[in-house]
Amino acid sequence: MKTMKWLLRREIWEHKGAFFWTPLLIAAAMVILMGGGFAYSMAFGGAEHIRIQGNDVVSIEGVPQAMRYKIAHIAASAYLGAAAPLFMVLAVVVFFYCLSALHDDRRDRSILFWKSLPLSDRDTVLSKLVTALCVAPLVTMAISVATSLLLLVIGMLAAAGKGLNLFAPVLTDLNLYLSPFYLLAFLPLYILWALPTVGWLLLVSSWAKSKVFLWAVGIPLVTLLLLFWLNFIISPIAPVHFDIDFIGKEIVTRMLGGLFPGAWMSEVDGSRFSQMKDGLDAGVVLGESYRTLANPGVWLGAIAGSAMIVGAIRLRRWRDEG
Amino acid sequence: MSAVLTARGLTKRYGKRTAVDGIDFSVPAGRIVGLIGPNGSGKTTTLKAALGLIDFEGELSVLGFDPRTQRDDLMKDVCFIADVAILPRWLRVKDAIDFVEGVHPRFDRKKAERYVANTKLKPGMKVKEMSKGMIVQLHLALVMAIDAKLLVLDEPTLGLDIIYRKTFYQNLLEDYFDEQKTIVITTHQVEEVEHILTDLMFIRDGRIVLAATMDEIGERYTEVMVAPDKVGAAGALAPIDQRTVFGKQVMLFDGVCRTQLGQLGEVRNPSVADLFVATMKGTYA
Repeated sequence: MKTMKWLLRREIWEHKGAFFWTPLLIAAAMVILMGGGFAYSMAFGGAEHIRIQGNDVVSIEGVPQAMRYKIAHIAASAYLGAAAPLFMVLAVVVFFYCLSALHDDRRDRSILFWKSLPLSDRDTVLSKLVTALCVAPLVTMAISVATSLLLLVIGMLAAAGKGLNLFAPVLTDLNLYLSPFYLLAFLPLYILWALPTVGWLLLVSSWAKSKVFLWAVGIPLVTLLLLFWLNFIISPIAPVHFDIDFIGKEIVTRMLGGLFPGAWMSEVDGSRFSQMKDGLDAGVVLGESYRTLANPGVWLGAIAGSAMIVGAIRLRRWRDEG
Repeated sequence: MSAVLTARGLTKRYGKRTAVDGIDFSVPAGRIVGLIGPNGSGKTTTLKAALGLIDFEGELSVLGFDPRTQRDDLMKDVCFIADVAILPRWLRVKDAIDFVEGVHPRFDRKKAERYVANTKLKPGMKVKEMSKGMIVQLHLALVMAIDAKLLVLDEPTLGLDIIYRKTFYQNLLEDYFDEQKTIVITTHQVEEVEHILTDLMFIRDGRIVLAATMDEIGERYTEVMVAPDKVGAAGALAPIDQRTVFGKQVMLFDGVCRTQLGQLGEVRNPSVADLFVATMKGTYA
């Protein structure tokens, strides 16, 4: 346990820039841009109109009490959506982190220093896995919640400047406080969906001598292309053919796209969402997302991902760094 | 004391090339062994096998462990500095000390800090800001503070200037080594290590051509500066090497009685470097 703590700390030392500074910088840019936008509209915009989801019809005199509560409810339920760009960045950061995780120290040969300490290859690889699937997402979640709250406050101040006071209804809305927990509740699902991708990237990272990115992306895509071509060649003479759609969706997408938050949405039945009237109902989204676990695909992917991680550990154990 | 390192029939092949060819050796505890050989002779491969970094054929026991299957246990008692001493570029001095203290049960933090205090290293310094000599100093500070039973040094001073090299070996001998510890060193700079070695192993083309203690070597090998009129007689005793210094013949003998050689000229102990060159004659031919 103690060793794992230090291994995780080591990953953070090495990747502080990617895991902390990148999201913080983007969060700062978002606050400045959006906050600046609100401030601008407060300073120069007409006082009588506010735009809500593109419909600028509401006149300030006429915001009825019910409408005010509805706006407040949407704001309190969906404010975390403002942080979506941070999660897109997280996917990219973790993708490249995984590619370099077991390769960089082999390339500069500092692996020999780590191997001179009592650190097993299993613990080393697991520490990278935990960093990719827990530490990095948790850091981004924390930054996202803080950023979203800040943007919400700026937004409410802007609205208040126009005479629409949302503070009381937003602050008393339970969803304001529940949203971060809903977000956190997605993490186990995210881990399951991301496992095949992280496993594949770590395997390539542990195996490739160079050009890790090309191998990681090239192998699945070229295989897909070859199968496509084979289909073309053999279809006139044989009744068998490869199911390209299936392979593309079930294998290649899981291998390369699992890190994107909401990758499971492709398997979610969207009909329930259209029934949501008062904006985003996080509970429904969460429930529908977890229902994708009823399909075998995600589990098979997670098992394949775990197998590839075992492979990465074995490769790291015996790879001769010359 | 029992052997720290025992190899029997140790073999490593890279494709068709045999890097280490069925060697046997044994290193007792409390020794400083120099494993010396030309480039590509199999030194590093042998050490890598002993450290569990590569697979091999034959038998190898390090502190009673099989490095192939029990590496995780082995590494609690063994430490090494690999040939080109490299530390990760992003590592800070204080983080390095914290980390090794965190993961190594036999690390003495005070000792490491004392070494660092004697250098120009600053706690907040990153490896990428350091000169090559400073990186080795940091590495050495970390390694010497680990109370390991076996320390393996593979070309630890390569590329360093003479001041760093001298202090490196001086520290090793004065502050680190004791009768509980065993050190195995490979190096090309034979002259610098010969005074600290207790045992010598010459390796050539994946085979051990000489393995003896320094005392045995002193008894076995004799260098004679042969008087001009005795050259014929000396040549008859089959010297293993001869060269000319200031117009005088200098011959190296293996296992010839010293009193007998004393009649031929001035007798002295050969340097390890001369012995090495004589033994390795024709390696690159």
